[in-house]
Amino acid sequence: MSTKSINTIVDRRDGKLAMAHFYVAFIALAIGGLAGLLQTLVRSGKYELPWGIGYYQVLTVHGVVLGLVLTTFFIMGFQLAAVSRTSGALTDKQRMTGWIGFWLMTIGTVMAAVMILLNEASVLYTFYAPLQAHALYYVGLTLVIVGSWIDGAALIMAYASWRKANPGKPSPLLTFMAIVNTLLWIVATIGVAATVLFQLLPWSLGLVERVDVLVSRTLFWYFGHPLVYFWLLPAYMAWYAIVPKIIGGKIFSDSLARMSFILFLLFSIPVGFHHQLMEPGIDPAWKFLQVILTFLVIIPSLMTAFSLFATFEMFGRSKGATGLFGWVKKLPWGDARFAVPFIGMLAFIPAGAGGVINASHQLNQVVHNTIWVTGHFHLTLATSVILTFFGISYWLVPHLTGRVLTKAMNKLAIIQAVIWAIGMTFMSGAMHAAGLLGAPRRSSFSTYGGSEQAAEWIPYQVAQAVGGSILFLGIILMLYIFINLAFFAPKGEQEFPVGEVADAAEKTPMVFENWKLWIGITVLLILFAYTIPFIDMIQNAPIGSKGYKFF
Amino acid sequence: MAQPGIGKKTNTKVEDQSSLKGTLASVFLLGFFLIITWVGVYFLFLDRF
Repeated sequence: MSTKSINTIVDRRDGKLAMAHFYVAFIALAIGGLAGLLQTLVRSGKYELPWGIGYYQVLTVHGVVLGLVLTTFFIMGFQLAAVSRTSGALTDKQRMTGWIGFWLMTIGTVMAAVMILLNEASVLYTFYAPLQAHALYYVGLTLVIVGSWIDGAALIMAYASWRKANPGKPSPLLTFMAIVNTLLWIVATIGVAATVLFQLLPWSLGLVERVDVLVSRTLFWYFGHPLVYFWLLPAYMAWYAIVPKIIGGKIFSDSLARMSFILFLLFSIPVGFHHQLMEPGIDPAWKFLQVILTFLVIIPSLMTAFSLFATFEMFGRSKGATGLFGWVKKLPWGDARFAVPFIGMLAFIPAGAGGVINASHQLNQVVHNTIWVTGHFHLTLATSVILTFFGISYWLVPHLTGRVLTKAMNKLAIIQAVIWAIGMTFMSGAMHAAGLLGAPRRSSFSTYGGSEQAAEWIPYQVAQAVGGSILFLGIILMLYIFINLAFFAPKGEQEFPVGEVADAAEKTPMVFENWKLWIGITVLLILFAYTIPFIDMIQNAPIGSKGYKFF
Repeated sequence: MAQPGIGKKTNTKVEDQSSLKGTLASVFLLGFFLIITWVGVYFLFLDRF
């Protein structure tokens, strides 16, 4: 037996650390959500921002605060809670490390936010060069990343002490998954740290005059694609390891879940070129190679789909369901902890289909830089992932604050998810359609000099504003539920559900814990996919670009 | 052979609880959806470029 007891509740002190992350995350939701609403209203052409506020400033707030701040804080908080729950309470040293990470991230967030609000950094969340922000914006983002590494170090330390106390045993599934996601994050963020520290920061400080745009964009997308998997994997943690317990079923296979996480670690990084398919300066052969690697990431996603269907069907049949789809009726539709993430899972079907289209070179020519892409990641991140995060919050927040999810809140949570689904169908559906008609992303309302083609997009832009308004209503409801669960819900004990593996499943092999092997393959794949293209880019580099500030 | 009735009885038995045919159907539907959307945009591409 282990020397550290495995808790059924998260240690109260670890709970405080996780909740600190969640407070920042939900404040970000409020600010970023409001910015999103304003954007859709502006793009409808029926509304103009007051007080000289720029569209691109609001767009930067929305992207940075939701895409980078909300996600990173929520994920780190959730992973800390999950590791504490499944591998035992953190030691004082580990918890202190977590707090240092949290405060660094928070300071960085405030710095970047202040620069955006002062209109010194309206460069969008991708901060592509040669758009140049104030140096403090880059320093702020760097602190967020360094803080997240320190948070990650706390998780890795907790994992190491579990392994030490339990030699020869596979680690608890949720801990294992949190560690894979942390490693993915550390390897991925090296790219963005490199472009910020060696290119953008010296350039914005005036130490160097020019920047190599292609190198900086390539380093950004080396980070940018695994970033989306860093968002997605915590949702997969809930789908694989928590939702089965909520419905009263079993995890289909522990090994399959670990295998799919390892495949995400291997194949989600050396694929950044599929975001740069339309970019000159990269040899098509290397784009082709990275497209192939991208398509390999489809495998673990389809494994996940299979595994979830199987979990649901096994559960339904154990309750006496018959026929091809009789099991669907047996699922607990009245339980927000299941129903809300389930809507997220459903959204991942069109989201995944869109992703396959985006990554195909020829098809990318149809949709590149159109608002189709915005529609796509509002299905992946802003529906699949975020509804799952909301679903997690409904039990995790009261669990950490010693309260319970009441029947009334449960009902409100389901209403919230339905509102979200309706709003997103309008908004994302209209974005996909307008994108296929050529409407650009990242651009404010314009009639493009009375162009006929641009006039075709306007009805879709109105539909986006309708959807955006419905979604904003969803955000208000979510904030209301969060505040209730954090401060006002009745005291009690809310379960932190952790799934058990089906009896028929095979024993988990230890090879999954062989990090030398997996990190080794990850590094080899990255070197293979990026070394020669980088040499090409640097050897054939044009004169760099001066910075531009259009704000 | 001596007791043909027994074989008949097992035919009317309730469905196997470990059956995953709903999962098979679901993943096929998912696969068809992926193919249909991909081919749809592919034809747009052929039409335009």
